Parts: sequence; C-alpha cells; structure tokens
Amino acid sequence: MSDLNPKLTRRHFLKGAAAATGVLVASAPGVSFAQKASTINFLRQRAQVEPITILINDSPWFPGFEVLVNNYVDATGNDVNLNVTPFAGMLEKSRNAVLGDESEFDILNLNEQWYMPFYAGGLVKPITEIKPDFELDPNIIEYDSATRWDPNVRYSTPDGAIYGLPINGNIQLYFYRRDLFEEEGVAVPNTWDEVETVAQMFHNPPEMHGWTIRSKPPNFPYQAFLESYGTSVIRLDLETGAWSVGLAGPEAIEATNMFLHLGRTYGPANYADMGQAENMALMASGRLAQAHMVCAVAPNFDNEDQSVVVGKMGAGVVPGGPVSRATMSGIWVMGIPHNLPEARQVAALTFLEWALSKDAQLDYTLAGGIPVRQDVYEELASDEKIGWWMKAMADSTPYIKAQPRLAETPQIIEVIDRRIGQAIVDELSIEEALQEASKEIQAILEAGEYNVTPLE
Amino acid sequence: MATSAMDVTRQQKWRLSTFLDANFKYWSLLPILIFLTVLTLYPVAQLLRMSVSDLGFAKGKLEWTYVGLDHLETLRADPVVPDALKNTLLFVVVVVSVEAILGLLLAILVSRARRFAWFYRSVYMLPLLIPPIAIGTVWRLMYDYNYGIINQILHEIGLAGPLWTANPDLALVSVMIVDIWHWTSFLFLIMLAGVESLPYELAEAGRVDGANEVQIYRHIFFPLLRPTIIVALMLRTILAFKVFDEIFLLTGGGPGTATEVISLYIYKVYFVQSRMGYGALLALLTAALISVFVVFYQWLNNYVNRQR
Repeated sequence: MSDLNPKLTRRHFLKGAAAATGVLVASAPGVSFAQKASTINFLRQRAQVEPITILINDSPWFPGFEVLVNNYVDATGNDVNLNVTPFAGMLEKSRNAVLGDESEFDILNLNEQWYMPFYAGGLVKPITEIKPDFELDPNIIEYDSATRWDPNVRYSTPDGAIYGLPINGNIQLYFYRRDLFEEEGVAVPNTWDEVETVAQMFHNPPEMHGWTIRSKPPNFPYQAFLESYGTSVIRLDLETGAWSVGLAGPEAIEATNMFLHLGRTYGPANYADMGQAENMALMASGRLAQAHMVCAVAPNFDNEDQSVVVGKMGAGVVPGGPVSRATMSGIWVMGIPHNLPEARQVAALTFLEWALSKDAQLDYTLAGGIPVRQDVYEELASDEKIGWWMKAMADSTPYIKAQPRLAETPQIIEVIDRRIGQAIVDELSIEEALQEASKEIQAILEAGEYNVTPLE
Repeated sequence: MATSAMDVTRQQKWRLSTFLDANFKYWSLLPILIFLTVLTLYPVAQLLRMSVSDLGFAKGKLEWTYVGLDHLETLRADPVVPDALKNTLLFVVVVVSVEAILGLLLAILVSRARRFAWFYRSVYMLPLLIPPIAIGTVWRLMYDYNYGIINQILHEIGLAGPLWTANPDLALVSVMIVDIWHWTSFLFLIMLAGVESLPYELAEAGRVDGANEVQIYRHIFFPLLRPTIIVALMLRTILAFKVFDEIFLLTGGGPGTATEVISLYIYKVYFVQSRMGYGALLALLTAALISVFVVFYQWLNNYVNRQR
C-alpha cells in the first residue's frame, strides 16, 4: 500500500524540486554542455553528501576560515555547521568528542602541540582508511610531516600514514620596519649576529626597541634558536630508533645565550613578560624595529585601526645561527574522528579535499586565512596588499622544522617554558636551566619507554 | 478461627507503615544520601581510582591502567610542586588576612554611615559581580609596562613604574593586589551581615558603664563577631586555595615559577599534558591541604564557643 501511495515528505519534495531544476537547466537553450554537466553534478552532490560539523577555534584567522566554509557551501550545496570555540576549550572538546560512542564533530581542528595523542591513540582516522586512493597534492606543505604518524617509532615521520590535513600554515617569520631599513640603507639580516648589528643601530628605548623576544611562554621562538645552532630539544635517529635530548651540549648553551642576550639587551624592560600580543602591540605602535614572530600577526600590521605601521612593514625568513636557519611549525591540522559513520567520514574528507584545492586556498588567504599550499604563496608573492609577507612564507618553506612531536610533547614543552623562563629571570643560570631541563626531559622519555641515549 | 486474606493484607500494610513510621528519621535522609552519593561520593571515588591509575588513549578508547602508588613517586620527584605549594600557602595567608582586615573595617564603617550607606554597599559589592575573566584582562592591561594606565600615571607624576608582572619579586604581589581588590567585597558582605546583627543595647550598656569606643569593640563587638569572622575566613581560605583565573590571565604562573600555584599546575598537568592520573593525585593533595585548614577553623570555632 505504502509503495502505491507514498507519503510526500520534505526530503522527497526537495529531491523532486532539485531533479526538476536539473532537467530544466540541462534542457535550456544557450547553456553549454560543461555548464549543464556541472549543474547536474552539483545537484547530485547536494543530494549525496551528509551535513558536517567542524570544531574550530576562534582566532585571528577565523574570518578567513568562515569565508572558506561559505564558499564550499555555495559551491557544493553541502551543509556545514561550525562550532566556534576559544583556544582554551579546543583540546577538551576534541577529547570528549573522540571518546563518546559517536563524535558530535565530523572534523576536529588539532593544534601542533597536541595532535600527537590523537594520532597515536587512533582517535582520528587515517585518511587512506576513508579513501584508499587518497594522495596528497605535492603543493600542500606537510610542515615536517605534521600530517603523518608512524606507530613503529611513535613519531611523525615522512613514512607515516596520513592522519591529518593542514588547514592553517602558521610558521615563524622575521618582521622588520622596511621604511626604516630603507632610510638607513640596512640590508635584511640573515644571521643572529646581523640582527644584533641592526638592533644596535635602531635601539633607542623607550621610543624604539631594537629587538624583542617572546618570553611568555618562550618555547616556540626559542626552539628556532636551538635549531639554528644545530641542536633541538629532542631528536630521533631514524636509523637506530634512539632518542636523545639536545639541551645538554655547548650548542644549546650558545643558542640560549644568544636568545637571552638579544632579548635583554634590545628588548623593553619587561622582556621577561612579553607574550605574542605584547610584541605585536610594540611593533604595531611603531616602537620596535625588528622581531621574530608568528606569521599570523602579519594582517594586524596592515589594519589601519590597529597599526601605525601600515605599508611600512617587511618580512623575511627567520635569521639563522652558525649551522642553519629555521622556522618552527606551529600549525593546525584537521582530523576526522574515528567514531563516525562512514558517510560522515566521507563527507568530512570531501570538505577537506575541497578546502585544500588551490582556488579555495587563494580565496581563504585573501580573506585573512593562512594557506597551506606552496603554489598559493608563490602566486600571492606579487600581491600588492599581502605580497610583502606571502613571499617570505614561500621562501621559508625549506626551513620549516617540527617541534617535538610525541604523545609526551605537552610535558616536554612545560619543562622548556619553566626552565628557560627561570633562566630569563635569573632564577637559574643558563647552564643550570639546561641541565635541569635535560634531566627532566630524559626522565619523561624514559617513563614513556622510548629508546633513549643516556645523558652525557 | 481462620484469618481471611483481607485481614492478612491489612496486617502486612500495618506492619509496613509501622516500620516506615518508626524509621522515618532514616528514610527522610535518603534523598540527601542519594544526592550526596551521586554528586560527591561518586566523583571522589572516581578521583581516588584515577589517582592510582594511568589513563591513556589506545585504539580509540580511554584505557585505565592500575599503577598503585607510582604517582606518589612522581610527586616526590616533581620540581614544580614545592614551588607551587609555597606560593599557594603564601598567597592564601596574605590575601585572606588582608581581605579579612579590610572587609571588617569596611563593614564597621558602612554600618556606621548615616548617609549613602546603600551607595557604599553597592560600590563595595561591584568587584564581586565582575566575571574573573574580565578582571584578569582589565588588570593585565592596567599592569602593562609599556602601555598600562598605572605606569602612565606614575610616569606623569615623575615616578618610574615598576615591572608589575615581569619582575619575579613583584609578580606574586601584583596578583595578590588583584585578588584583594576582587575578593575583599566577599568578606565585607559577610562581616557586614555580622556587624548589623550585633545587639547594640550591649554597647549602650557598656557606654553607661563608662567604656570607650575601643573598649566596646574589643570587649563586646569582636567577641560577638568571632564566629562570623571564623566562618568568613574558612570560606575565603577554601576559595583562595583554588585561585586560578587571575593567575592564569595575569602571569600564567611566571615569570619563571614566581606565581606558579597548585591549581594552575593541576590544570597544566591534567588538561594540557593529559596526565590525568597524576593530576588526580595532585587534586587529592590539594583537597587534603584545604581540609587541614577547614579542620583548624572548626576547632577554632568550637574553642571560641566554649570560651563564650
């Protein structure tokens, strides 16, 4: 009976209306075959893909992400809900979502400093388990393998499976006052020693500071100094599978010396209490000649409501030490929870693949987002408005370095922040701080049953 | 004579109602027992279980592994806990003492005010009504070395503004100032209720007997206010032990470890580092410390009552 006299539901009505529109468009004169096919495809897509909900943090780049989502909805007809959450609530919401029977979110936005337990614990799904023939576009930057996880070494390595896709390519850049540099005929520095020479030239506190460090918390910029002196907080020997702590050697002492020396000598008197917001305010108010900051701050310098240095800024690759240059990766990756029905996983991946396409990323960038594609950076390097820092981003890609990427990373970061913080305020000498940090990190690795090289 | 079925049922009902009536005092406690079990005992039991376990994610699930007293060993070796405990105790003692003295003084002054008493009450209550997140943000901006209004005012009068939150010797004091500004009104309200309920005829009698104002306060009012003061101190000590938002927003525990307190460290261990088992042990330790203070205040209260 019911087959002969079906009840007309809202879904049936919408499907019928969509089909009728498709037939009308397809049969309309003057419409090309490609347009017809595209329209029909769009209508089919609309009927097939499940609505998705994305857990996303409220941030300076959120307006760009919102535009990206709106463009996706307009282009595909698929519904997307956004759960916009302050940074402090992101980890808890993500964790709760993956521990329930079924996640309320289809996509989780995971921060570089805590994505690891989600990969390691299988809390997000490997992408190839959703789409076996998935291949990452070579133009998508992997940020020193932040997308991958290798369970054999319990680390993000180039051989690992893809668990997350980058959505925000936040790395560090060197920012400087281009107008002042041009006035004085100063070249953009390539090394920390050259940074000091420039700092000496411009340092005239409190009106102008030659340099500043981010000391609250210090770990993120500090790690770039370590890398530039040829060491890092921890490192993995891929051949032997052995871990070692890189804070006990002379390279770490030299790197820490340079980090603190520049901050103390050329920074404001409250150098021990400078967070990202304080550094940005100093630069935007025209009282800072050069700084090492995350790229995400760049749009603020172009905002006339917040900045007196609009059109006066320049950006480049973070200067280096005696060994190399390094820009630390501090990105966000999007993962698809393991506890979702297949149709929702497919819908989530459909969004991510679209969001990472070149055209989508171009619009995302122009709306305030930080893209994750090299071809987008290169194309926008000549853009009149944002080209000044897009070029620096394109040039920085070869120097991207990972922060420690273990399930124990938050513990390791806490040690770095506390011990280097103590050195900044002279609670401990640099040598003492590094020795204590080394011992604590060694203990964390040993407790995690890693194969660790003994401390010297 | 055989008893009918109806009589048996009546008898049973009688027995049941007699039993219920006889034990009503116990039955009446049942709702609160259920309430306590669900809302207090169960979470505490979970916390205890967590404190002897390691919690990790594997195969998409949260896994509990019993580790016995391993976390006690971690606690013994943890270099942060001694600093955090020292700072917390110092913070509690200083802010509770200052807030109690200020709260009592304000309560006495407002209770004696002949005009605008309603206005003073409203104004002194204001800090308590402001969300802590707003307090932290506003004071953070005010304390800013480069742009903060406090240092700008000091600069205008020819003084060099201090490094409020950047100097490790001053940072905890800066946080205490904010806390005192925020919470004095809490103690003021409790003290005001106590002061306004004092029997003023006793003071009149004292005056007739030739006592001056100081003697009246010392020998009549303060002894009568002691139970109120002790309860206020106990409540405020419990809250001060759990200070989090002000320090999180103002200093994040720094510079160095200058303002690291136990609640902030528990947050870092539990939520940031995902070391839930160890975090649970730290939470139990904090609860035990607070209990010591609560027991002390209760003993003091009983002692004072016995003296009276």
